[in-house]
Amino acid sequence: MNASASGMSPRGSISIREVTKIYDPDGAKVLAVDNCSMEIEAGEFCVLVGPSGCGKTTLLNAIAGFHGITTGEIWLDGELLCSGARTPSPGADRIVVFQNGALFPWFTVLENVTFGPVVQGGMSKAEAHDRARTMLGQMGLMGIENNYPSEISSGMRRRVEIARAMMNDPRVLLLDEPFRAMDALTKTVVHQFLLDVYDKSRKTVFFITHDLEEAIFLGSKVYIMTTRPARIKKVLDVDIPRPRDFRALSSATYLRLKQECIEAVHEEALKAFKAGEREMA
Amino acid sequence: MATATATIQGVNWIRLRKKVLSRTTCRGIVSLVGFVVLWEICVRLNVPIIGNVPAPSSVLDALGKQLVSPAYWLSWRDSMIRILTGFVAAQIVGIPIGLMLGVNRMARDTIYPIFEIMRPIPPLAWVPASVIFWPTPELSMIFVTFLGAFFTVVLNIVGGAKSIDIRYIRAAHSLGSTRRDIFWRIMLPATMPSIVVGMTVGMGVTWAVVVAAEMIASQSGLGYLTWRSYVAGEYPVIIIGMLSIGVAGYLSSAGIRVLAGRLTPWLKVR
Repeated sequence: MNASASGMSPRGSISIREVTKIYDPDGAKVLAVDNCSMEIEAGEFCVLVGPSGCGKTTLLNAIAGFHGITTGEIWLDGELLCSGARTPSPGADRIVVFQNGALFPWFTVLENVTFGPVVQGGMSKAEAHDRARTMLGQMGLMGIENNYPSEISSGMRRRVEIARAMMNDPRVLLLDEPFRAMDALTKTVVHQFLLDVYDKSRKTVFFITHDLEEAIFLGSKVYIMTTRPARIKKVLDVDIPRPRDFRALSSATYLRLKQECIEAVHEEALKAFKAGEREMA
Repeated sequence: MATATATIQGVNWIRLRKKVLSRTTCRGIVSLVGFVVLWEICVRLNVPIIGNVPAPSSVLDALGKQLVSPAYWLSWRDSMIRILTGFVAAQIVGIPIGLMLGVNRMARDTIYPIFEIMRPIPPLAWVPASVIFWPTPELSMIFVTFLGAFFTVVLNIVGGAKSIDIRYIRAAHSLGSTRRDIFWRIMLPATMPSIVVGMTVGMGVTWAVVVAAEMIASQSGLGYLTWRSYVAGEYPVIIIGMLSIGVAGYLSSAGIRVLAGRLTPWLKVR
């Protein structure tokens, strides 16, 4: 749980073993995730790409501990997080950054960032504030500590939310399409921010998106998912050296990977579209 | 030079003058004066219906007498006490009940049906029953005032608590919150805007209720003043009673607005 342990051995390896999730709200069984397995190494930047509504978020929520799975097992650093029999619970070692952002509007930036340490009781308020100020400073987020989230830009909010997660020194950072619906310019800023955070901390990142370019630019490994039920269709190793910046976007490796990715995803997108048409008809 | 003289004693006179003499303010003043003058003229010319209303000049005349009369100010005091007691009691009882109903499914399922039956009953319909139940007319009036705000407060809070975004609760769990933290740091502030709306609407209902209740069951207060003036044939005082109720309602709403700014500072920005 403390920082010294993280220095000794890398933490944050996730093992997803034959996970299946069936939603059964009112008898109409929906298979969201079908027999999905993946091994994520500690410190890996892992990106899941797939069409909207394919079951990626289901997998992320199970790791986060928001809901259980039907069969299979998810392990974190050799501990069983959840299985068909074991309902998980959320914890500060796996922090989620949500799709539409979940900074608490009623707290200032500083209160948001120190929320974790304060409720966990591991730190005094003054100590937490000091640490938060230092961290916000290192992340280039100075001068907004006393603002409410509604007073800062969306790109700023997203960075603060990542800072809030990092304050807890989590084993895994779970990001659920965090940069969706952002304009292209803001996106480049938050991408660079996330890459910097990753390069400095080497936390395990579990990142969900449907944006291929984002996936390749950020990730070390890109898992392309099938249309619902989610299965892994293809795994790409992204061998673009780190630290990365926008120049990587014009490298030959990037373009080649993007081409590969587009073909795989296009097939799935078509399937999803046809499935949608069938449902309509 | 101009700016130096403009900010004597820390007051920006140019800005102040601009604000006071803005086009909007001028139009407002002209409109009000025009309204009063037109009213006076109509009364003097004995225009049908309007001619029956006391003229502004006679209202002003009566106002001078009322403002120096202790009885007039006692009416203010009595109404204010009823309003504040009923309103504050409604908050003290209503906010916890509203939160409990919003958060606890069991409580909602068992208690909400009672609310659903009671709520459509207008507070004034409670007057006869509460006069019988409560030992003094004063208490019965405060009770009716309380009811007026109570249902509004509870229903607003239940609505607010039920619609809390699940993301906030999940994020709080994920950051290591206990159930206690979730309540105090998430549920309560997330519901605060609804609490404030409940207060604002509740305050309006409270004045409507207290005025009517005073006309029916009291010997004091602004509502009673208005009604008694009608019975006694002192027509200008009716107008004074009405205007006083308007001013009192406005002042209470302004007070709630100040309170709201304190309770939900994050909504005030920009």
